[in-house]
Amino acid sequence: MAPSATPSAYTPAPERRFNVGDCVRVRTTHPPGHRRTPAYIRGKKGEIERVCGRFPNPEELAYGFDGEPRRVLYRVRFRQGDVWPAYESASEDFIEMEIYEHWLEPA
Amino acid sequence: MNRNPADIGGEAAGPIDTVDHGMKFWEKQANALRNTLTSGKVVRLDELRRAAEELGDRYYRLGYFERTTEAMRNLLLEKGLFTRSELEGKIEEIRRRYGS
Amino acid sequence: MSHDHRHDPAKDEGPPSEHEILSRALQELLQDKGVLTAEQVRKRMELFDAEFPQRGARVIAHAWSNPAFKKRLLADGKAACAEWGLDLEADRLIAVENTPRVHNVIVCTLCSCYPRALLGMPPTWYKSENYRRRVVREPRAVLREFGTVIPDDVSIRVHDSNADMRYVVVPMRPKGTEGWDEEQLASILTRDTLVGVALPRV
Repeated sequence: MAPSATPSAYTPAPERRFNVGDCVRVRTTHPPGHRRTPAYIRGKKGEIERVCGRFPNPEELAYGFDGEPRRVLYRVRFRQGDVWPAYESASEDFIEMEIYEHWLEPA
Repeated sequence: MNRNPADIGGEAAGPIDTVDHGMKFWEKQANALRNTLTSGKVVRLDELRRAAEELGDRYYRLGYFERTTEAMRNLLLEKGLFTRSELEGKIEEIRRRYGS
Repeated sequence: MSHDHRHDPAKDEGPPSEHEILSRALQELLQDKGVLTAEQVRKRMELFDAEFPQRGARVIAHAWSNPAFKKRLLADGKAACAEWGLDLEADRLIAVENTPRVHNVIVCTLCSCYPRALLGMPPTWYKSENYRRRVVREPRAVLREFGTVIPDDVSIRVHDSNADMRYVVVPMRPKGTEGWDEEQLASILTRDTLVGVALPRV
């Protein structure tokens, strides 16, 4: 693939499961090995904030595989009140992070 | 539950040392070494992270650059870039150089 | 309040630690095997020391001065920087904007992901276990430890850089900077303001 003259933060992901605004839930599963989905967000419900694109799967790259086929990566926004019991403030605070498609299910 | 020692977001913890203590010379060099190896695709960052996670309980007993250096050593041995005996020999050589 | 007490010597004092010896051994073995050269490592050290740390403030100062650039920066940080002549190497940058209603703060709970090609090396507190543990759960309390108080009617957004993207905060431009040139603006954009634990001060 020819490198882009203007490198972007995003890659195209036309075939994807979710779109901006969709409500999603992070899977509640605790597989062994290298994962980039933090334990504290598993099982939590959020909203797709952005589609970042397709990237090689880090769970495979970590063990020397090529990470193909690429997986779709999303930014997901969560209300802090939905993530932590007794969150420190009544304010509408959020936490946002990147979650791979295979870790998400519709909510 | 499988516990990755790096997966600590949300845990209770004490005060943060908000002062930036900077980096020692060897730490800057270790960082540059890591960066040279990842840019050169000799190792992947994902592999280094995994190697750090595999330190298990040791993860919490080491400082940041100690951790990344041990993870790098384990990964490079795993990949066969050198043997354990070559590494031990080189460490001995460097110790003698410093007179320690 | 966070200060920069940087002890960045050109050479370390005292006998080398076990890990320093190990790190040197790794590098020299790789040199002996032709995997890399000392010069390559030295050049990377220079980039991290001299080049990367200056970039963030310049980019954000430019965004403050140029609304069209700011818009492009917020849409796609990496592309906007590339157009401006700045190669962020592997960093896929997302710029997040502070507004009167929103304050942003960055962390990597799983390790220490940070936009190094834009800001240089992360501070020791960013890599510390206590920052990684607490800022996602109690950002207001953590910000108070840095001397930064965010009012309750302002929403805090914590960004956990847990995958392929890297983040930088675009602070609000303070009053009293009207007519400032980009160099003056960059002078108040400290590293801590670009990670979100401090606010720029005139």
